Amino acid sequence: MLIRIENLAHTYARGTPLVHDALRGVSLEIAPGERVGIVGRTGSGKSTLVQHLAGLLKPTSGRVLLDGVIAHTRSSAAQRRKLALAFQYPEHQIFEHTVLREVAFGPRHLGLRKDEIAGRVRWALGMVGLDVEEMGERVPFTLSGGEMRRVALASVLAMRPEVLILDEPTAGLDPQGRRELLAQVRRWQEEIGMTLVLVSHDLDELAHVVERVVLLNDGQVAIDGPARQVLSDGPLLRAAGLDVPQPVALLQMLREAGWDVRTDRLLPEEAAEEILRVGGRA
Amino acid sequence: MGAALLLMALPFAAPSLVSSLLLVAFVIIGALLASVPLGALLRTLRTVFWVGFIMFFFYLFTTPGEPLVAVGSVAVTWEGLLAGGTQIYRLCLLVVITSLLTFATSPTQLAHGLEAVLGPLARLGLPVREVAMVLTIALRFVPTLFDEVDKIAKAQESRGAGVRSGGPWRRMQGWVPLFVPIFVSAFRRAEALATAMEARGFRGAHHRTRLYRLRLARRDLWATLIVLAVSLAALGLDRFI
Repeated sequence: MLIRIENLAHTYARGTPLVHDALRGVSLEIAPGERVGIVGRTGSGKSTLVQHLAGLLKPTSGRVLLDGVIAHTRSSAAQRRKLALAFQYPEHQIFEHTVLREVAFGPRHLGLRKDEIAGRVRWALGMVGLDVEEMGERVPFTLSGGEMRRVALASVLAMRPEVLILDEPTAGLDPQGRRELLAQVRRWQEEIGMTLVLVSHDLDELAHVVERVVLLNDGQVAIDGPARQVLSDGPLLRAAGLDVPQPVALLQMLREAGWDVRTDRLLPEEAAEEILRVGGRA
Repeated sequence: MGAALLLMALPFAAPSLVSSLLLVAFVIIGALLASVPLGALLRTLRTVFWVGFIMFFFYLFTTPGEPLVAVGSVAVTWEGLLAGGTQIYRLCLLVVITSLLTFATSPTQLAHGLEAVLGPLARLGLPVREVAMVLTIALRFVPTLFDEVDKIAKAQESRGAGVRSGGPWRRMQGWVPLFVPIFVSAFRRAEALATAMEARGFRGAHHRTRLYRLRLARRDLWATLIVLAVSLAALGLDRFI
């Protein structure tokens, strides 16, 4: 699905003393199968932007087009169904009394046949690394935080979205949980080929997953480009209240110390390679 | 605070249409003094529009008396029109006065005021301070829960929820995905708050001191006297005119 955002603006609490411009004139285009990271400091408008993508908010001005259909209108229901959004702490949306029923909620609302629903539930739980036989009949509220997160994400995946939007999916997980989840997200994308929109302010994390980064600052797009370029642009990121990923910071220090290293290596492995290439022979 | 409570009681002694003009004028002056925008005050009436409409409708058709317009066996009477109008006026005044109170007074002040007014009951062993505390906390979390409802509703909508068709049973089931998570999160918040209060050494509300103390100043006495005078005048007008 092709997503087109045209001059989107959103104002919260208009006409009250609490009025707040969350977005002001954002234009973007997201092609099918792209892996896009949306970054920015707290309050930069990330969450508002992704809610617009999912057609959950009505723009104050401008518009969001999903395959050419305006997103928040009634006639876009078919388009919106192809698009799934998992909010921060998605486990807060859990309500059913078994894991199976929780994951089946979305597919049931799609009006699928019983065996199709069962198939999707099995598939979705598999995608998040949970065993149906072992977990299926358990009560979600008795699971650990990490397991609940996976159940919630499985229930979103079970919709088989063409576009998957994840808002801070790793918030509140331990380092190992984060690593595992990110690896899974990448695997989903490779296997299904869906469009992936990932919201985060942890740039080290994003570097593992996305190929393109949109930097929001104060409700506007500060820069939109390849991850390698945006995430190694120290001055720009710092101006927007963020900082470069750790490997980039290290390479920049080496460069200042007189080493002739490239600084656009985002992953630890890439950085190590670069350091070895330049000075490691000694 | 005493004055504020009396103000709340005023519309219950709802007088007739003649003395009502006095009350309306008084409310307007009160709003101006408290610098509450009149427009915002009037907008609160929207919440009771349908209640008022239905009430008026019932009074219109069910009050016996001189028929004004008759359609078959159903008649609109002059008395019905009058009674309906009076009820609407009473309802509106009730809403406006309570809104004026909440516009001009912060929830915390309200709870403290309530605590002060109910103070004597503490002698009878009623946990007045605790109740006031609970009230303050409850009021504090109303907007938080509203945010939460909004978020969960969007999350479920994004999973294909939102049953807008089907029978009443199906529609009711449509609420489950919303209410269960809200309750869970309310309990989670309550537990976190309880832990936080304990961690700061909260042991019941006894001997609690306040940063901002409410004092009964001279102008509060004046306000109380003026409200009393207006109430008596309204009741008096009712009796003699």
